[in-house]
Amino acid sequence: MIKTFTHEKLIRYLYNELPAEEQQEIEQSLLHDPKLASHCADLLLAQRCLNDLRTAPSKEVTDSILQYSRNFLRP
Amino acid sequence: METMQPSDSALISLYIAGKEEAFELLLERHKSRVFTTIMLIVRDEAVAEDLLQDTFIKAIHTMKGGRYNEEGKFSSWICRIAHNLAIDFFRREKRNPLLNLDTTSHAFNSLSLAEEGAEATITREETHARLRELIQDLPAAQKEVLIMRHYGEMSFQEIADATGVSINTALGRMRYALINLRKKMAAQPIFYDQNVYPRETDPVPIQRIAG
Repeated sequence: MIKTFTHEKLIRYLYNELPAEEQQEIEQSLLHDPKLASHCADLLLAQRCLNDLRTAPSKEVTDSILQYSRNFLRP
Repeated sequence: METMQPSDSALISLYIAGKEEAFELLLERHKSRVFTTIMLIVRDEAVAEDLLQDTFIKAIHTMKGGRYNEEGKFSSWICRIAHNLAIDFFRREKRNPLLNLDTTSHAFNSLSLAEEGAEATITREETHARLRELIQDLPAAQKEVLIMRHYGEMSFQEIADATGVSINTALGRMRYALINLRKKMAAQPIFYDQNVYPRETDPVPIQRIAG
């Protein structure tokens, strides 16, 4: 793995928290460094699985929140 | 071509100006991740729904009361409220929230059999249950960052500020959380199948080549 990137920077890249310039640098390295690309892919796969756990509340609850908002009197 | 969606900031301004429809959009946009964040901490659907209501009621009071601070992102702000309420709930209950993730919770398994094949539904539910177990097994600090960043969509800096650690510590915890999860997932065929086939594809049994 190329050592110019810290592991912390890779995590920020995965979560879109890097400035565009640094993001491009990482993407260039991913093209030329198979070990970095493989490590990045592993992290991305873990991310993708986590996405599947997202769930939503019932419609009754969201309706009740909307009702509360409509009836809320401004101070 | 994608339709341009109004920003959270624009929706908040409209809502404060009296447009209730704007709040409906905000709620629709953020309800799932706020609810998931709470569920992963309190692991009880009824409690999570109560806390979701409390979270948005607080937001309504703040916004309509003219006390909303435009400086931060709405998504991080609402998640911080939700996270704090969930943690407070567990403190009141004198339980440790980050060591108790239910693996059989109904709310996480709510896909109906009609939406996809029964077999696919069962496989997916098993996978989700196993994944929740893996999250449960993570060290508490890693689990906390994972929930706040992945489901709460707080930035690493915001997490660092909220948990009193440096940003590098928060990033390191996230990294180890993902690595630990990935290692455990890689060792289990149920996750290996999920990664090989795109989610939209019907599951197909295959013969793996050993070694």
